[in-house]
Formats: sequence, C-alpha cells, structure tokens
Amino acid sequence: MRPESPVRNVWGVVVVLLTMTVATLARPGEDQAQHVDSLLMSVDVNEETEAARRARFEREALQYVDQLYSAAMRMTRNPQDAEDLVQEAYTKAYSAFHQYKPGTNLKAWLYRILTNTYINIYRKKQRQPQQANTDTVEDWQMAQAAEHTSSGLRSAEAEALDHLPDSDVKNALQEIPEEFRLAVYFSDVEGFAYKEIAEILNIPIGTVMSRLHRGRKLLRGLLADYARDRGFNRGEGSEK
Amino acid sequence: MGTENCKECETTAEAAARLERIYEYLDGALSRSDINEVQEHLNDCPECASDYDLECLIRTAVKRSCTEQAPETLKLTIIERISEIKVEANHN
Repeated sequence: MRPESPVRNVWGVVVVLLTMTVATLARPGEDQAQHVDSLLMSVDVNEETEAARRARFEREALQYVDQLYSAAMRMTRNPQDAEDLVQEAYTKAYSAFHQYKPGTNLKAWLYRILTNTYINIYRKKQRQPQQANTDTVEDWQMAQAAEHTSSGLRSAEAEALDHLPDSDVKNALQEIPEEFRLAVYFSDVEGFAYKEIAEILNIPIGTVMSRLHRGRKLLRGLLADYARDRGFNRGEGSEK
Repeated sequence: MGTENCKECETTAEAAARLERIYEYLDGALSRSDINEVQEHLNDCPECASDYDLECLIRTAVKRSCTEQAPETLKLTIIERISEIKVEANHN
C-alpha cells in the first residue's frame, strides 16, 4: 500500500480546493457586488475589473508603505524625495499590477519597482559627471575597512555600538557606496534572501554576496569610527 | 580540531574569510554541514565568537535605526493618485 499517483492526484485536488477556499475567504470584499465579482474572478487577473483590481492593490500592496518609505529614505536621504519616490513607485506598481502574479512575493516585487524607479530618477538627475568617482572612493574605503576587520571593533566598542544614536547608524550606512548599501539594507532590515535581493537589484547572486560582504565590512569600519568619535572607546590601548 | 581552527584565524586573510562565513551563517545561506562547521568553530575560537556577537549587534543596530514611519498623508496621496490611473489591461 504505497502512495501511488492516484493518491497524489487526490491530494492535488484537495490542495486546489483548499487554495480556492482560502482565496475566497481571504477576500473580505467591499460591497456585495464587488465581492461576488472577486469570487468569480479571483484567479484570472486579466478579467479583473478596474475596481476589483484597485481594491486588491490597496488591500495587499499598501500595507508596505512604511517599509518602502524607510528604504526610500536610505536611497534619497531626505523625507520629501523619499515620499515622492514611494508615490512614484506605487503609481508604477499599480499600472503594472496586472503583471504581478498573485501568490508570489509581493513585497519583493514592490521593492524591485521602487529600486528601478529610484535608479531611473537618480540617473536622470545626475546625468553629468560623477560616474568615475565610485571606484576610487570604494578602494580607499575598503583599505580603511580592512584595518578594522580584525581588530577595529572589540568588546568596548561592541558595547558602545549598543548606545550609538540611530542618526550615527543611518549616517554610517549612508556613507557606504549605494550598491553595497542597498544590499545590506535589504538583507539586514528586510531579511530578504540572497536570491530575492538578486531579483530586486537585478544582479547575479554572486554579486549580491560580494556586495554584502564588502558593504558589511565597510559598515563595520565606519561604525567603529563613530563609536570612537563619540568617545565610547575606552581601553584596549589603541586609542589616543 | 578546535585549537587548530583558531590558528587558522591568525592571518588576516583567514580571519576575513571566517568573517564572511559568519555573514553567510547569519544570512541563513549555509548548508547544514556548513552550519555545523561554523557552530563548532564559534565554540572553539573566541576571536570569531566575538566577531559573531559584534555582527549580531551591528544588525540589530541597523534594524533598529532604519525602521521609519511614513507620514500619515502618504498613504492617502497614493490612493488618490492610483484612483486617477486607468489601466488598460482588460482587453483580450
């Protein structure tokens, strides 16, 4: 009596039925007409009415506004630009919502749109020089970070880190080059897996890993500097 | 095996490689056997153990510092803007 394919088929049917039930239950529906509407069209995104799609978008996508705003703050560094960016991203997301496949990772999908929107706006804004700069900064920063890696931050500073004001941590994050910063942010704050970060930033997983490694080392070094500047570093003999 | 591993961490390059391992460990990106190996090493190597603690602290600090609330009006503005959009995806 081994579970052969007929058994699996039965399970398959059960799963489908359950999925349908859950999909139905998960839709509180606005008014009755629309509720019926969404019942009938719960699977077929192409046939969804404008009103139903808008309701679904507001219900499912808008819950991430705070999170996208936080990320946008890391990108633009100022509240007004962050608001504009999030608005723009949501507008784009809504226009493309029929392309989003229900059941897949909506948050990652929204982050991807946010990032793309940011890159497009940012590149347009800075169309002129600047480009060549990043490599040099990066090497210089990496060299400095390497010093910190093994001995820069030890127990005294570790303790100090706990007391660093949020503004210091944000500034430190802000100082690392953008491509590293975003990877670190998505990993540490949002807990996205490498694969998800790869999709959001549209880069290979290997690149995600190297950006994360380098970004984290840079961040470590910078946080050590901030801890020192705050005078938290007492002992270990290396200061002064 | 423990003390040997610690000796491996003596050179800067080794320590750096170990640190990357700790990153991946915390990222949940390692296989089961790699996880075991890292855990064993952390038990035996005080240097790496304190690097591990530090990395946890850094992540906590980043998370704590970067959680912001959007202005209350933002959600409403978005809803308003969306309502102006007509998506033409219903043909086919």
